[in-house]
Amino acid sequence: MSKKKITIIDYGMGNIASLKNAFTYLGAEVVVTDDPEKIKNSNYVILPGVGSFKRAMEQIKRRNIDDAIIETAKKGNYIFGICLGMQLMGASSTEDSYTKGIGLIDNEVIRFSTNDTKGNKIPHVGFNSVNFEKKNSLFKGLKDGSDFYFVHSFYMSPKNLKCQISTSYYGINFLSSFHKDNICATQFHPEKSQGNGLQLIKNFLNF
Amino acid sequence: MLKKRLIFSLLFDNGNFFLSRNFKLQKIGNFEWLKKNYNFTLIAKSVDEINILDVSRDKQDIKNFSNTIRKFTKNCFIPLSVGGKVDSIDKAKYYLDSGADKLIINSELFNLKLIQNLSKNFGEQCLIGSLDYKYVNDEIFCFKKNGSKKLNMNLSKIFKLMESLPIGEVILNSIDRDGTGFGFDFKILNYFPKEFKKPLIFSGGAGNYKHLLEAFNNKQIDGIATANLLNFVGDGLQEARLLLSKNGVKLAEWL
Repeated sequence: MSKKKITIIDYGMGNIASLKNAFTYLGAEVVVTDDPEKIKNSNYVILPGVGSFKRAMEQIKRRNIDDAIIETAKKGNYIFGICLGMQLMGASSTEDSYTKGIGLIDNEVIRFSTNDTKGNKIPHVGFNSVNFEKKNSLFKGLKDGSDFYFVHSFYMSPKNLKCQISTSYYGINFLSSFHKDNICATQFHPEKSQGNGLQLIKNFLNF
Repeated sequence: MLKKRLIFSLLFDNGNFFLSRNFKLQKIGNFEWLKKNYNFTLIAKSVDEINILDVSRDKQDIKNFSNTIRKFTKNCFIPLSVGGKVDSIDKAKYYLDSGADKLIINSELFNLKLIQNLSKNFGEQCLIGSLDYKYVNDEIFCFKKNGSKKLNMNLSKIFKLMESLPIGEVILNSIDRDGTGFGFDFKILNYFPKEFKKPLIFSGGAGNYKHLLEAFNNKQIDGIATANLLNFVGDGLQEARLLLSKNGVKLAEWL
């Protein structure tokens, strides 16, 4: 495999170091940037994110990264959203009051309620099974129900989402990953999921 | 389904790692020593998460600590929580930039302004509140600053506060059991709210897999942290994990 060039978007709220480690370990060349021009012209873009949706959107808008992401997606470049990065691709979130997302897909991000989770504790933290809904190239070499690391209190509603490729169960079934054309995303952290996560990242690098 | 978590804690002080017994530290060696004598790759594949705590009693060498975190995360693809004098947004950011995924907060846990600020910046899922406690004549006292300063609050108030703070998880750490290998202190759960809504990590006293099994079989406990390097390192953790699975504990499996 030739050395793939990966752009990790750094808008000040992501576990950039961990992601960089994982992609570098798997042989990719990693660029970390907040420059919209570089994002537009990269074939592989990672949208990470840890923290609050509202704050993240503020940081993204301030740097005009939202437009760059939409443009790079239109061009057919691959984009991979992770955790909050996946949520930011949605239409909106109710975290810290209603906030609009980047809108690459229509779905909304809502908070787990203890009603939803049937008394399960919030946040949802730890390794949980990722149940494959469809055969997908991201899951190559992985068993259905493989364990991945989650840490979140909000989730993306799977309503009408035809591109969902996995769900996970935490009192309710929620969307744990989707893949639509050149856009994919996981609610879990592959870069923190040991061998399972490395396999998934390797699969992305083979896109 | 969500799996139970086995967490390994490393204690760091100015360049060296330490063993702790009842919060008294005993030096074991620096990062290179640890790497040479203990098989890190094996440890990482036998635990769900790692905690690194700067427990330095004197002045903190933050650069040294940050470098150690960086070295540690290099080929380690597992969640890492970092603690040690998290007292400002800047310090928190520094730890996160060094490779921490979550922050463990003890001494400043009841500094509401700081906790709210940290939560606004990094999200509540990023914050773990850690409480050190011990029994004095059957009465429970809680401590901050590495067990040196008593908190002037009663336990039920402390637990209530911990539930209402914008933090994601809670660690209960028994100073009496710390490093003893005598088993966990389950008595504390009699005082802990039954319907506590945040994940609970139990710490202090794990000496063998039976202790871990006993704790994992308790519904209130979501994770276990052990810093007992000598009891569990080598293939100790790997074996414990296998035995736990054999005994019906649902644990994550990796390629």
